[in-house]
Amino acid sequence: MEALDMRDDYQDGAAAAQNTLQLIAFSIDEQVYGVEITTVREIRAWNGATPLPNTREYVRGVINLRGTIVPIFDLRARFGDGKTNPTKNHVVVVMSVGDKWIGILVDAVSDILTVSKDDIHNVPEGNSIDTELLNGIVTHDSRMVGLIDLQAVVAGAKLDS
Amino acid sequence: MSDLDEFKATYFDECSELLLELEEQFIAIQDGDRSADRLNAVFRAIHSIKGGGGAFGFDGLVKFAHSFETLLDYVRDGRVELTEDVITLCIRSIDLVADFVGAARDGITLAPDYGATEKASFDALARGEAGGSAGSAAGDDLDEFDIDFTPVAVNLDASAPLSAVGSSQEDLTVWQVTFKPFSSLYERANDPLLLFRELALLGDSTVHAELTQLPSLGQFEPFGVYCTWMIELVSDKANEEAIREVFEFVDGDCEIGIEKREGVTLAPAVAPSDDDDLPSFADLAEQAKAERKFVPTGEPDDLESPAPAVAAVKPLTPARPAVASEAGEESSTSSGRPAGMQSIRVDLDKVDRVVNMVGELVITQSMLTQQMDDAIRDRYQELVRGVEVLAQTTRGLQDAVMAIRAQPVKSVFSRMPRLVRELASKTGKKIKLETIGENTEIDKTIIEQLSDPLTHMVRNSADHGVEGIEKRLAAGKPETGTIRLSAEQAGGNILIIVEDDGQGINRERVLEIARERGVVAPDQQLTDEQIDNLIFAPGFSTASEVSDISGRGVGMDVVLSNIKKIGGSVHVRSWTGKGTRMTLRLPLTLAVLDVMLVKVATSPYVIPLSSIVETIQNSRADFGYMPSGGRVLQVRGEYVQVVDLAQRFEMSSDQSEDNRFVVLCEAEGNSKIALIVDDIIGQQQVVIKSLEENFERIDGIAGGTILGDGNVALIVDVQSLKVDSAHQNAA
Repeated sequence: MEALDMRDDYQDGAAAAQNTLQLIAFSIDEQVYGVEITTVREIRAWNGATPLPNTREYVRGVINLRGTIVPIFDLRARFGDGKTNPTKNHVVVVMSVGDKWIGILVDAVSDILTVSKDDIHNVPEGNSIDTELLNGIVTHDSRMVGLIDLQAVVAGAKLDS
Repeated sequence: MSDLDEFKATYFDECSELLLELEEQFIAIQDGDRSADRLNAVFRAIHSIKGGGGAFGFDGLVKFAHSFETLLDYVRDGRVELTEDVITLCIRSIDLVADFVGAARDGITLAPDYGATEKASFDALARGEAGGSAGSAAGDDLDEFDIDFTPVAVNLDASAPLSAVGSSQEDLTVWQVTFKPFSSLYERANDPLLLFRELALLGDSTVHAELTQLPSLGQFEPFGVYCTWMIELVSDKANEEAIREVFEFVDGDCEIGIEKREGVTLAPAVAPSDDDDLPSFADLAEQAKAERKFVPTGEPDDLESPAPAVAAVKPLTPARPAVASEAGEESSTSSGRPAGMQSIRVDLDKVDRVVNMVGELVITQSMLTQQMDDAIRDRYQELVRGVEVLAQTTRGLQDAVMAIRAQPVKSVFSRMPRLVRELASKTGKKIKLETIGENTEIDKTIIEQLSDPLTHMVRNSADHGVEGIEKRLAAGKPETGTIRLSAEQAGGNILIIVEDDGQGINRERVLEIARERGVVAPDQQLTDEQIDNLIFAPGFSTASEVSDISGRGVGMDVVLSNIKKIGGSVHVRSWTGKGTRMTLRLPLTLAVLDVMLVKVATSPYVIPLSSIVETIQNSRADFGYMPSGGRVLQVRGEYVQVVDLAQRFEMSSDQSEDNRFVVLCEAEGNSKIALIVDDIIGQQQVVIKSLEENFERIDGIAGGTILGDGNVALIVDVQSLKVDSAHQNAA
């Protein structure tokens, strides 16, 4: 259901004219994920973050982005695979979600992909984490790319006391 | 946003300014200042609101404003007397205009008869006295109505030479004719010049154009009527009827005042030898417009014109300077200053962006300075000098930017007179409000936050402080109570003081209630000052009976929490039978906060300096242990709850217990809390950044800030730690 809804959103977006979608692709371990390129504000190397108390483990903390405080989400931890042990080679992708700016911590940024919207598949029912965090799946060069639902990544980051 | 929406937004912005101005002017008028400038300013403001409203089709607003304007117009030219009742009606009507404007802005439809009573009163007032006294009032209003004109002799018609006046000077009378055309006069294609020529046939006429109403070029409407004329007619044959006859054709399209000047002795008429030297009226008008000066400069004598006629009108020239200095800043546009050049309207967002950038610049600059070691200093002297200049410029820039955000507290103070007036009439007391230092400037955000607390405080003073008339007289005080509102800058703070000469705080009653409600333990001994400050305790109200003004028990504690929120403090002092003084201490700006930089585990945290009482090394602190395992700190006979920040924020600290520090903080309502931190790094000023902007609120954290090294430090929210640790204890 969610996946279908989001496809509508994509069609409203900038790429609607060509019926194609440009994605920034990044990897966590071997798996490739993507977000729409228009949401990406900048990509920067991991340089530490100030931890935030009373938040879930996938909130790595906040960084200073030219005077604005931006929270960093650890995507691996968000997927439930444990916290990333970040090095200088890890990358933060800063994106705008609604009117907020967030950063997600990933292993590496790999590519810019252009895919056709018709190639977006629904996420198979099954694991609730998958259906919650992904909008859909596209195939690129015979590899699977998961489309990240940024709203879902950001939601519920605070610990309920 | 469409163009129209933008215009509308601008219009509503202007309206709120104009409404403020209206209120200010009326307060001055109520205080007895009946100068024409005030009335003119009021008239202009209502007119502007009406005009804009008409352009956007806000009919209700326009109709109401129109009636209001009509009344004001009559008041202005003296046909309606400005009695207390009229002033009260006007002030009430400002509220109604504000309602109309608000309704138009929010797209709400008001009841069709909204304001009908007031409108009817306007019309009745305007009708009631409009008829009879028009003629006689015309003469008086020359004195009342501030007319900025200097007589100028004008040659209207060379064919009617002044010498025609004749030799029999004993028969000469001087007539003063005021001619105020309405726009309908021009619509019917009448030309004032023709009328003046006609008038000149009756005798020696001198025409003065009164151009004070002439707006700036930007506001100039091509079909607007801005000009009024004064004609001095020296004649042996003219009588009132003859003069009226001249204006017969324009009857109803203009206002005519005809007055015989008594006691004017004329020097023997001198036939002007040089008519040509008199500038023609048209030339003068051109000149006046071009220079946008309403009065051709110079005393009448400076003009090369024949003395007699001019000398006769001299007494009519009102003394200007006094009036001009009384006029408010806004209303002085009529005294020759080009309007609209003094300020520009800028979105607050834009200013904030600049403030942020400057904040960044300051941080970068201090980082650069830190990088300068001795080796660099020796090798690159030019670079060092450059960095020093940069530091200076940056500081200047920061001050300048902060000054942009600074606003006079006037905008808050100006709401208080009305409040006091309303309270006085509700309670039947007599209260006078004095305001001092209303031009003191504070950061705009603080001003916005200041309105509610200040309203509460003034209300409290009027309701609980100042006594009723009998009680005051019995205590040997003047019948009228005084509330003084003052603002001043003291170092890095702004002090706002609300003072009254009322009965003071009833300490026994306060203590009794505090004990009753469990705010104070039964055996606790308090100093007078501590008792006074109990009025800020949550859920506290001393009014024996709840009035609808104040005394619902929410109020003063809200004041305190609001003021704390903007980094300020409140202090109250009271003298029994003599009065109460409440002092608000506010930071100059919200953007910069004085903090103590500490370390919790490995992360930097800052604690606002304003809430810190003292710091103690753990090894010297006197801890006690509770059954739950929690610690309490004993300090000067008080037991204070202890919160280990590392524990609270779920971080592991490897610092040995003895090397840690206790930061004793003061939370709301004089309660204390002891925070344990791992290290104290130092004291500094930081720029507050919001966490909510990109994330969400976190318990125990008030926000973030960026340190000199570019890292983010979190600001400890002392108050919320206190509150939720109380919850935890309960659970």
